[in-house]
Amino acid sequence: MPTPTYSLDDAIVALATPLAESALAVIRTSGPGSIELVASAFSRFSALKAASGNTLVHGFILAADGGLIDEVVLGVYRAPHGYTGEDSIEVFCHGSIPGVGRVIERLLEVGFRRAKPGEFTLRAFANGRMDLTRAEAVSEVIAAHTEESRMLALRRLSGALADRVGELKSGILAALAAVEVQLDYAEDDAAEDIELDIAGLGSIERSLRALASTAGRARLFRDGARVAIAGRTNAGKSSLFNLLLREDRSIVSDVHGTTRDYIEEWLDVAGVPVSLFDTAGLREPGDRVEAAGIERSGRVIGSAAVVLYLVDATGGLDDGDRDFLASHCDYTAKTGVAAGPVVIPIWNKVDREVPASPPGFIPVSVKKGEGVDHLLSVLGSVLLEGSAGGSSADGVTVASERQQALLERAADSLASAIASHRAGEPLDLVAPDLRDAVDALGEMTGEVSTADMLEEIFSRFCVGK
Amino acid sequence: MDFDIIVIGGGHAGIEAALATSRLGFSTLLVTQNPDCIGKMSCNPAIGGLSKGNLVREIDALGGEMGLLIDRSMIQYRVLNRSRGPAVQAPRAQADKLVYMNAARAAVEGQKGLSVFMDTVTDFMLDPSNSRVEGVVTERGRRFTSKAVVLTTGTFMDGKIFIGDFSASSGRLGEPAATGLGSSLRRLGFTVGRLKTGTPARVRRSSLDFSKFEEEEGEDPMEPFSFRDDVVERPGSSCWITFTTEETHAIIRENIGRSPLYSGKIVGRGPRYCPSIEDKVMRFPDRDRHQVFVEPEGLYTDEMYLNGLSSSLPEDVQAAFLRTLPGLEAVEIVRPGYAVEYDFLEPTQLHPSLETKRLSGLFVAGQTNGTSGYEEAAAQGIIAGINAVRKLQGEEPLVLSRAEAYIGVLIDDLVTLGTKEPYRMFTSRAEYRLNLRHDTADRRLLPRALEIGLASQEAAERFAEKTAAIDEIAELLASRKTDAAAAAILPSLAGHVGDSLAQASKDPAVHADEFASAIPELSVYRPDWVREVLIDVKYAGYIVKQDRAIERFSKLEEMRIPAGFDWAGATGLSNEAREKLKAIDPRSVGQAARVSGIRQGDIAVLLMMLTRRRGGDGDR
Repeated sequence: MPTPTYSLDDAIVALATPLAESALAVIRTSGPGSIELVASAFSRFSALKAASGNTLVHGFILAADGGLIDEVVLGVYRAPHGYTGEDSIEVFCHGSIPGVGRVIERLLEVGFRRAKPGEFTLRAFANGRMDLTRAEAVSEVIAAHTEESRMLALRRLSGALADRVGELKSGILAALAAVEVQLDYAEDDAAEDIELDIAGLGSIERSLRALASTAGRARLFRDGARVAIAGRTNAGKSSLFNLLLREDRSIVSDVHGTTRDYIEEWLDVAGVPVSLFDTAGLREPGDRVEAAGIERSGRVIGSAAVVLYLVDATGGLDDGDRDFLASHCDYTAKTGVAAGPVVIPIWNKVDREVPASPPGFIPVSVKKGEGVDHLLSVLGSVLLEGSAGGSSADGVTVASERQQALLERAADSLASAIASHRAGEPLDLVAPDLRDAVDALGEMTGEVSTADMLEEIFSRFCVGK
Repeated sequence: MDFDIIVIGGGHAGIEAALATSRLGFSTLLVTQNPDCIGKMSCNPAIGGLSKGNLVREIDALGGEMGLLIDRSMIQYRVLNRSRGPAVQAPRAQADKLVYMNAARAAVEGQKGLSVFMDTVTDFMLDPSNSRVEGVVTERGRRFTSKAVVLTTGTFMDGKIFIGDFSASSGRLGEPAATGLGSSLRRLGFTVGRLKTGTPARVRRSSLDFSKFEEEEGEDPMEPFSFRDDVVERPGSSCWITFTTEETHAIIRENIGRSPLYSGKIVGRGPRYCPSIEDKVMRFPDRDRHQVFVEPEGLYTDEMYLNGLSSSLPEDVQAAFLRTLPGLEAVEIVRPGYAVEYDFLEPTQLHPSLETKRLSGLFVAGQTNGTSGYEEAAAQGIIAGINAVRKLQGEEPLVLSRAEAYIGVLIDDLVTLGTKEPYRMFTSRAEYRLNLRHDTADRRLLPRALEIGLASQEAAERFAEKTAAIDEIAELLASRKTDAAAAAILPSLAGHVGDSLAQASKDPAVHADEFASAIPELSVYRPDWVREVLIDVKYAGYIVKQDRAIERFSKLEEMRIPAGFDWAGATGLSNEAREKLKAIDPRSVGQAARVSGIRQGDIAVLLMMLTRRRGGDGDR
C-alpha cells in the first residue's frame, strides 16, 4: 500500500547537528530553489540571492511578520557543488532548542519539506557526489531508518509499547476489515450489514491520545513550558521575575515579547526551556485599561503550565489570595494531571517579621535571594513530573516525537472516521480515514499490506457466493 | 505469414483480444476447440459486480465488447452498494447465458479480418534462436504462422475435473482439456503452476419449491453497461434466496473425507474469496447457515444455478445435502458441481504489456495468468490484443496506471507480485479507488481508446456530448443557489436555502438520486450524468487529497527503467534485491518499489543509478 516516495526535485530541510542545548546548531537545506526559499525568510535577501557558491552571508531569519527569529550565518552552495550537489544553504544559528525549532518551522513555512532520514545522502549519490561503491552501505543506512517500522523500531519500541500499539492497531484493523468487506462484497453477498463499533473505536482513539500524551517530556524539552508569576500587587512579582532572570542570565535568549500587560522571558530550569511571564497584579481594577490588562494576565495564567503565586507575607493571606488558591489546585495535592496550571504558592518577604509560612508554601525572600534555589528545584521537578502526562495506567510511554506524531495522526484519522460515520457519510468515505489510522500505527509496528487486509477479511468473514 | 496475429481460445479474454487486433486492422485467426462455445459462461450467470462492473466499463471505454454483450443478454440489473458509497457502487447483471454466447459469437463472426478455426493448439513455432514466437502447431498437425500469438486458454490447459472420486481430463464438464500446450510451455522454460476453482450444481427449475425462497427482483429500468448504449430493452427475471441448514452442514462434515479438496487429490490452490461450500462449513463452524442464490441460467432453459454451493463432493453427497435446503427437498440435479484444476502461467513472467519476457511476440491473458472471473479475463484480453498490435506497429505498449484504472491495478498486481490463488479484483486492491468509479470509466479511458484507434467516431461524438453536459451541470451546481421551491420538493434541502447547489449536495442527508428531482434545470440532462457530477462534487475534497497522493505516486511511475537494464551488474543493490528485481524486471521505479521484499533503500540506490544513467556526471 504505502509506496515509498522519494523525490529529487523539491527542497528539503533538516537539523544537521544533534537536538541539544549548544552554542551553535547547523540546519541543512537542499534542493532546487533552496536559496530563493531561504532568501524569502532572510533579512538580506538580495545579498543572499546574489551570493556566489561556497560563500558565507550574515543576517537574520525573519518571521512572516518581519520579526527577528535568530541571527545567523548562511553557508551558500550552488549546484553542482556542496554535499548534495544541489543548490543548498547551511544555516548556522544559535543552539537553543526552541530557537532552532523556530528557525526550522519558519523554513517549513516558506516551502521546505522535512527531509526523510538519509535523504541528503541519497541526493548526494543521485548527483554523483559520492562514489558508486558506497551505495550499498548507504542503502543499508537509509533502509535502517526508513524500515524502522519493521526492524530497528521494533527493537527500539519497548515490548510493552509494541504490544499496546499492536493491540490498538488490531482493533482498528478489525473495523477496517468490517468496512472493506462491505465495500468488496455486495449487500446480498456478505449476508448482512456489519455495524461499526463506534464506541469501541472511540475508546481506541482515547487510548491513542493517552499514549501520545506520554511523550510530554520529549515535547517539554523541545517546546518548553510557560510559567507565570502571579499574585496581588506589590507581592514582589517583578522582583522575583528579575531575580530569576539574573540567576540565569547567561542562557536568556534574544527573543523578546513584551506587551504592556505582561512580560515574557526565557530561562532554563533543569534543562527545560521555560517561558517566564510576569503578569499584571491581581486587584480590583482601578480603570478600564488596567481591567483589560488583568483580564489578559488571567489568560496568560490560564495557559501556563505552572503558576508561581506570590503572597506578601507581611500582609498575610487575604480573600483574593484564598479565592485564587482555592480555584486552582494545589500542586502538593495534585494527583494525576491537573486540569489547569499547577500552582506553587510562595510566601515572600520572609526576611521580615512575618507569620510562619502556611503548609505547602515555599518561604522565600526575593529581596535577599533566600529560598530561590529551593523554588527552582521545586519548579523543575513540577515541570518534569507534569510532563510525564497521560494517564498511562500500565506505565507504557512513548519514546520519541515521531512515535507521538504517528499516534496523534492515528487518533486524528480515527476521530475523523468516527465523525464521518456519525454524520451519515457512506462507508467509502469512512474507509480512507480508518486506512490512514492503520497505516500510521503500521509505521510504528510494521506495515499493513493489502494482502494482510484481505487475509483479515477472509479469516473473519465468510464471504463469497 | 498466414496471419498477423493468432489468438488461442475463444473465451472472454480471447474474444476481446481477437476483436481488438482485427478491429485495428491486423488479420487475426482465433483458434478454438469448439466454435459453439465462443463466449460461454462457464460458471455463474452474471457479469459485473463490485470492482468487476468497473472493469466491464473500462473495457467498454477502451472499445471492448463485454459491455455491449451483457447489454444484449441481461435478464436482471442491479446497482450494488447503493447504501455504502457512490465510489464503490457498481452495476451487476444476470445474463441469459445462451443469449450472451450467441451475441459473442455474432460479434466474432461479424468482424472483418477475423477468422475462426476449430482445432487445439499444442505447441508454438519459434524462430531459429528460440526467442521469438512465429506461429502455432495444432493437435491435427496444422501449422499457422503469425507475427504474434495471444494465449487465452482459461481452465483448459491440462484441465482436470473432480467430482468426489471421479476425475477426468476436461476444461469444463464434458469438454476435453487442451493437453500438450502446458508441457510445451514447460519445455520452453516457463514456470507453470496449478490452480483450482469450482462451480456448483445446476438443477431443474420445475423441481424447486419457490414458495420457500425469498424473491429478489432486479431494478427497473435496466441500465446499460456500455457507454455506447442508451437503453436496455430486455425481459427481466427474479433471482431467489434460500439458506443451508444444520442438516446440510452435518452431511458435508460427515462426508468431508470424500472431497478431493480434503483428501489431497487436488493440489492446486483455490480462491479464499469464493470458497466451496465444504470450505465454508469447515472453516466457519459457528455459522448455522450460508446464503444460496437460485439464479436462472437463462430464460429458455429450465436449468438453475445454485450460487454459493460450489462443491466437488461426490454426486450422492451433493444430492443428499442439496435436499436439506428449504425449497430443494425434491431437487433434480441436471449437472453436478465440480472442481477444476488447471495450468496457469506464473504471471511475473510477463511484462506489463502482457507479453512474456521469455518469448518475444507471445502475449498471455485471462485465467491462464492466474486470474478468476469473466471480467478480469476480458480486461487482460483487450490489453493483450492492443499490445500485440502495438508491438507489430513498433509502438510503446499500452500500460494503464494503478491510479487510472482497475485494469492497471489488475495487471500491475499480476506481473509485479504474481498470485498464489486465483486472483480476483477487489476495490481494496486499488489505492485510489475514489478515482476509479464505474461511471467515470469513459472519462478516464476513452481518450486512450481514441489514441489507439479502437473508439468509433460515434463513441467519440457521444463522449464529447457527455463532456460538454458534465461541464454545464458542474457550472450550474456551482452557480445556482438552493431556493425555497427546491426545499419544498425535497425537505432535506430546507437547511440549505441560499447555499449553492454544490454545497447543499454535499450534505449526507441529501441523496444524489433525489436531488435532481428538486431542481428543474437539471431535468434536461441525463439522470446518470447528473448523478455522476453530484458524486464528483461530493467527493471533491477527498479527490483533491487523493490527487496529491497520485502525484507523488506518479513521480516514481514515470521514472522509466530502460528495457534490458543490467540488473546483474547493478552492484549497488543487495544481492537479494538484485535477484528479485532481475526476476520481475520492472519497467518503472514505482513498479520496482512494489516488488515483494524490495526495501526503500534499494529504491534509493536504483533511483541514483537511473539518475546517473540519464546524464549525471558520475565520476566526480
